[in-house]
Amino acid sequence: MLHIEQNNLLLQNTLTERLYPSDPSANPKSLDRIVSDFDFTTFHVSTLSDRNLILISVYLRCWDDLVNYGVVNYLSNKYANFPSLTVLTGGEIEQGYNFSIVLDVKAAIEESEESKQELIEQLSLLKRHSMAAPFEQAFARYDELSKQYANSNTYSEEVQQELLNEPILVIKYRGIDESIYLKPSFDRVTVIFSTVFQDETDKIFGKVFLQEFMDARKRAVQTAPQVIYTHGSPPLDIQQVVHGGDNDNKGYVTFVLFPRHLVKGDKRDNCISHIELFRSYFHYHIKCAKAYMHSRMRFRVKEFLKILNRAKPENVVEKKTASGRRFDRS
Amino acid sequence: MSQSLKPYLTAVRASLTAAICLQDFSSQLVERHNRPEIEVDNSHDPELILNPMVIARNENEKILIEPSINSVRISIKIKQADEIEQILVHQFTRFLTSRAENFFILRRVPIKGYDISFLITNFHTEQMLKDKLVDFIIEFMEDVDKEISEMKLFLNARARVIAESFLIPFD
Repeated sequence: MLHIEQNNLLLQNTLTERLYPSDPSANPKSLDRIVSDFDFTTFHVSTLSDRNLILISVYLRCWDDLVNYGVVNYLSNKYANFPSLTVLTGGEIEQGYNFSIVLDVKAAIEESEESKQELIEQLSLLKRHSMAAPFEQAFARYDELSKQYANSNTYSEEVQQELLNEPILVIKYRGIDESIYLKPSFDRVTVIFSTVFQDETDKIFGKVFLQEFMDARKRAVQTAPQVIYTHGSPPLDIQQVVHGGDNDNKGYVTFVLFPRHLVKGDKRDNCISHIELFRSYFHYHIKCAKAYMHSRMRFRVKEFLKILNRAKPENVVEKKTASGRRFDRS
Repeated sequence: MSQSLKPYLTAVRASLTAAICLQDFSSQLVERHNRPEIEVDNSHDPELILNPMVIARNENEKILIEPSINSVRISIKIKQADEIEQILVHQFTRFLTSRAENFFILRRVPIKGYDISFLITNFHTEQMLKDKLVDFIIEFMEDVDKEISEMKLFLNARARVIAESFLIPFD
């Protein structure tokens, strides 16, 4: 398992069970599931008083940030194409959650196989879509800027100043210490992740990994986004929006996305889904490397023990013949 | 085996064989006590302690052998070229010391300035073969270096695969 899945498997399974009932004639059972995902995300799937209606709610820690970047509109548009879905607003949203959708199972079952699959797929990507809103906004801003400056001298000081003052989008998706910063410009979008390493080993393994991220562009994948790693103090671009003191365990990973990564359509969607999960992917693989080291050391320690045990003269085992008689060597 | 490692290990082997020449010796201070003399404060009976020796391959790799009448303390400093090796050595020695009870001769806490220490007493040499004990120490020194550098190589290779497989889908 090299990559982390975009969608939530549990959510997907729950919905599939509902939309493909084993016994269509039976009355649907009531349902109440809380599904936890990483980055402090929680889904709640439950049936309403009419058991054919399923309420799907999501809680994200960074919702307040996302709202600023138009997440509600973005999600409503995403799910507007499905007639069986109703997006709830205002006071209708489930208590303790940020976003709720009602799925009419009766209507959804009637639909074609293809649209059913699509519906399940899109609903299980709820977290990805929520996080995608600010990225979409930043990329849209990049489109504007690239048009605006298409014919101007981008090296002139006024333009440079304007670009410098371009607002930065901040998503504090894991609290203040681990955030995503997005800065659009006319020829690129800069995505900066701040991340905290829990212990010394993580920090050093992380450094090794990030070194390879930086070098990958020179070596194997020349078309990849540029990766820059800074440890301790934040990069200049985002210095004015970073709060909290310098932390020795904190690092900043900068991705520079070039126009070739931002081509509208599938490529842009793919880029968003992929970069969103960078922090999880990165830390997940640090943990994997650590786990492997542990199993390897355990094995090596066992080998050492064997060598040491050779030093003990073997206990003389009493030898017996096949029939169980004692066999005395004379 | 590299050219400089062999004479180093040969020297260690000869010195260890000479140093592990132990006899039962009851404490002169406390009645009915029998303790490893190298581990106790010996300002009162210095005659029980022999001259310690250091065999060094370079400043990062050395071994300290402290013999006494009934015990030998052997401390090893493992090569640590950079911070990755440092962390790997640290983890590895922690792994070993937390299993010290299985490793009869392993000391739970290394001597200051060294990464791992062994304590061989006359009771160990009575139960185990001396040659094999020396073999163990030598083999340990060889394998630890090999293991650490293999792990480091592996970490780098893994990091490369991870980075590339993350960056390729962007295009």
